[in-house]
Amino acid sequence: MPNQVSDVNNLLDSLYLELLDLIEQHTECRINIERINNAGQLLLAKTRYNQGSNSISTAQIPTENSEDFKALCNVEKELDIENTIAGEKKHLIRHKVEKSQGYVEPLHWFAALPPTTLRNATEYFKKSVELVVQGANIQTELLAVMDKIERLKQIKKQLVL
Amino acid sequence: MALHSAIRGKLISVIGDEDTCVGFLLGGVGEINKNRHPNFMVVDKNTAVSEIEDCFKRFLKRDDIDIILINQNCAELIRHVIDAHTSPVPAVLEIPSKDHPYDASKDSILRRARGMFNPEDLVR
Repeated sequence: MPNQVSDVNNLLDSLYLELLDLIEQHTECRINIERINNAGQLLLAKTRYNQGSNSISTAQIPTENSEDFKALCNVEKELDIENTIAGEKKHLIRHKVEKSQGYVEPLHWFAALPPTTLRNATEYFKKSVELVVQGANIQTELLAVMDKIERLKQIKKQLVL
Repeated sequence: MALHSAIRGKLISVIGDEDTCVGFLLGGVGEINKNRHPNFMVVDKNTAVSEIEDCFKRFLKRDDIDIILINQNCAELIRHVIDAHTSPVPAVLEIPSKDHPYDASKDSILRRARGMFNPEDLVR
């Protein structure tokens, strides 16, 4: 714990700089997600144009009455005390399609023989999922930095008094 | 990114319009568990705000969900609930949709971050 006001001020300065950097990364990540999703959605629209407007809709996706299945993508946490303030980092796990184990291919909800446009759209959305995990890591770090700033402000108040 | 078959981590859930949900489901995030509970919700013009709110609260309570994705326009409808969620887990990510581009000024996390730059606090 820092025991001088100048130490606290120096730490706060570096944390505020870190916060600004994380805010920039956060916004940049959202813009990248927007760009990738737009490209994917354009390909979904092309698929609808070629295959019919109802070929890609909520009518094809599973509902509560459908058979249960597992997500192909999961998020796992790992400790990373050296490089992060939050002390942990999320990373993406992608499972192989294995129907017997409940890992089904989502493309087959929409077509038995998925057209190229739909396959390409899927690639964009897979990339988007990776960006989402990256965004979640930035957000966790952002919250950890904000928490640390608040705690340092309290320490500074006690030192000034 | 690792490729595993034995290890199971936590889920990414989605609340959003048709294209957002279809997209992320194609990306492989969708799941319907043994209790028939999906980790996604499609919001259309007929969906009541209370339904979105209930679904969001349900996702917050589930311990197998680590990230909640929500379209920013849907998040705007339940802003009070999102602002009240201050815990880092699950991480709530506001994402843009086809009809509503990302607006950083509406994002709950960024609004909190901007609040840190209070001029009174910055004076030494």
